[in-house]
Amino acid sequence: MAGYVTQPPGPPAAGAGRSYTCPWCGTVSDGSSLSCPACGSPVDVRVMVNNSGWAEMPGIKDMARIQFGQSTCQIEGTLVPIADMNLAPSDAVYFTHHVLLWKDPQPVITTMTLKGGWKRLFAGLPLIMTQAQGPGHIAFSKDHAGEMIALPIQPGQAVDLREHVFMVATANVTYDWFQTGIWFRTKSGDDTETHYPMGMFMDRFFAPQTPGLLLLHAKGNVFIRTLAPNQTVLIKPTALLFKDPTVQMQLHVEHPGGTWRSWRSWGERYLWVRMYGPGRVAVESAFEAFEDPGYNFYDAAPHTRQRW
Amino acid sequence: MDPLQRIACEWCQSQNPPNVTSCQTCGAPLDIRNLVSDSGWREAPRLKDMTEIHFNNSTCQVEGEIVPVAEMNLAQGDAVFFEHHVLLWKDDSVPMTVMPLQGGVKRALAGMPFIVSIAHGPGRVAFSRDATGELVVMPLHPGMELDVREHSFLLASHQIAYSYVRIQGLRNILLGGQGMFMDRFVTAAAPGLLLLHGYGNVFERFLRPGESILIEPGAFLYKDAAVQMNVETQKLTTGLFGGTGMNLARMIGPGRVGIQSMYHHHNTD
Repeated sequence: MAGYVTQPPGPPAAGAGRSYTCPWCGTVSDGSSLSCPACGSPVDVRVMVNNSGWAEMPGIKDMARIQFGQSTCQIEGTLVPIADMNLAPSDAVYFTHHVLLWKDPQPVITTMTLKGGWKRLFAGLPLIMTQAQGPGHIAFSKDHAGEMIALPIQPGQAVDLREHVFMVATANVTYDWFQTGIWFRTKSGDDTETHYPMGMFMDRFFAPQTPGLLLLHAKGNVFIRTLAPNQTVLIKPTALLFKDPTVQMQLHVEHPGGTWRSWRSWGERYLWVRMYGPGRVAVESAFEAFEDPGYNFYDAAPHTRQRW
Repeated sequence: MDPLQRIACEWCQSQNPPNVTSCQTCGAPLDIRNLVSDSGWREAPRLKDMTEIHFNNSTCQVEGEIVPVAEMNLAQGDAVFFEHHVLLWKDDSVPMTVMPLQGGVKRALAGMPFIVSIAHGPGRVAFSRDATGELVVMPLHPGMELDVREHSFLLASHQIAYSYVRIQGLRNILLGGQGMFMDRFVTAAAPGLLLLHGYGNVFERFLRPGESILIEPGAFLYKDAAVQMNVETQKLTTGLFGGTGMNLARMIGPGRVGIQSMYHHHNTD
């Protein structure tokens, strides 16, 4: 099976009690609850993998609970799900401040310092990351119909997110960002403009010592695939949700056959990002298309081109 | 109805005969448990596709589950009122009138609908709002007062008195993210039917007297008139850019508070 089923659920080990390995996040639990305690995926759900190898993210059941540290997170609703955290006194989470939905009076809210404020400002990234310290309830949601994705991060593991998909992370997860390296420049008269099909930066989350939890909000449905080493796939730049840091990216331009070449494209040019394995790649089904200005590249990051 | 054999709806408390699977007054499934989160929010019931609701001699059928439609089959003598842009389709024969409203200039300046229309029975007329979400059926029992965020109500039956209240306090108006007015629906002696459209999923919580909770103002959907609402600002500073303000509405009980999970984010200065 080519999908993200690295550890298919096996039969219970004899004499060891009931054991269940979540096919989505790999966490081992006793399988007695209806959903995985680490990521909220329904237990015993038949893993849906299509013929091309994309596995469909199992939607988190209404009111499913996820455990992290001494705290719990309950996912409520199915159209625009809410992450309702019950924070223990020792636990904290951080988030971009516009995703806050409601909170009890108790949790204390402070701001986190972020390096590179000017760069973030120019790139349109959130300037302020807000932190909430337990005890108490606090809830988050984003304003799009879609799915809530819980990504448990094991110690030493990192994950890369396209900008603006991050919602909440536990305080033991570190946050950094890096340049996507996916860009091109066009020239119209004397005006030169640089375009970033998937944004100038990507977010990177890393759990240095203890397991962490990351919550993302995806528009529409989510599909994930594990690429073998050097296996590639082309995806639309704005459809990327997250990837493993081992997955490399490169811009790819495709021109369909039967078109003639001129000083600009008239909509018959496709911009892609080629993902190189090994590692996981996840896409969302409802994404905002990148508006291609159409002009020929004046300068660009290393890219490949295909003319049919 | 045999008083010993009836099912009380957990959403609206109406009594139903034992042979039905959804509440005849609000459409909530009677064979599905109430979904309540650990923090005390009760999820508005997901209405099954094609659920039928009764009020007076008319019926309302809820169709679709992503952007649901409320299709009314109005009996002679019944009527519903609504903001005119939520109309989806209607029979030729359904008469339409306009509700006289006071303070038209104030409403126009506040961005509220200048005209509230009325559709009269007999005949069919259907309504929907253009966003993914839920239809929330709020049967109003006699003597109830409910405040609803502006542009959130889909329709109300003619027994309900409609007015609007100015949100108290300049701070609440400017920072509350929900405009200058709220719609207020009041029932006198007769019960009425009120349909709201919530963006995303809708949750309700009952606050005890003096109990308070902070919510994102854009998520506010409805509240009992007894619940107070005050906007509070928390300053978030970064040192480098001076920071920003985060506005949250403090809701103080007693009464119900309804929120929607997909909200219109307002600007924080």
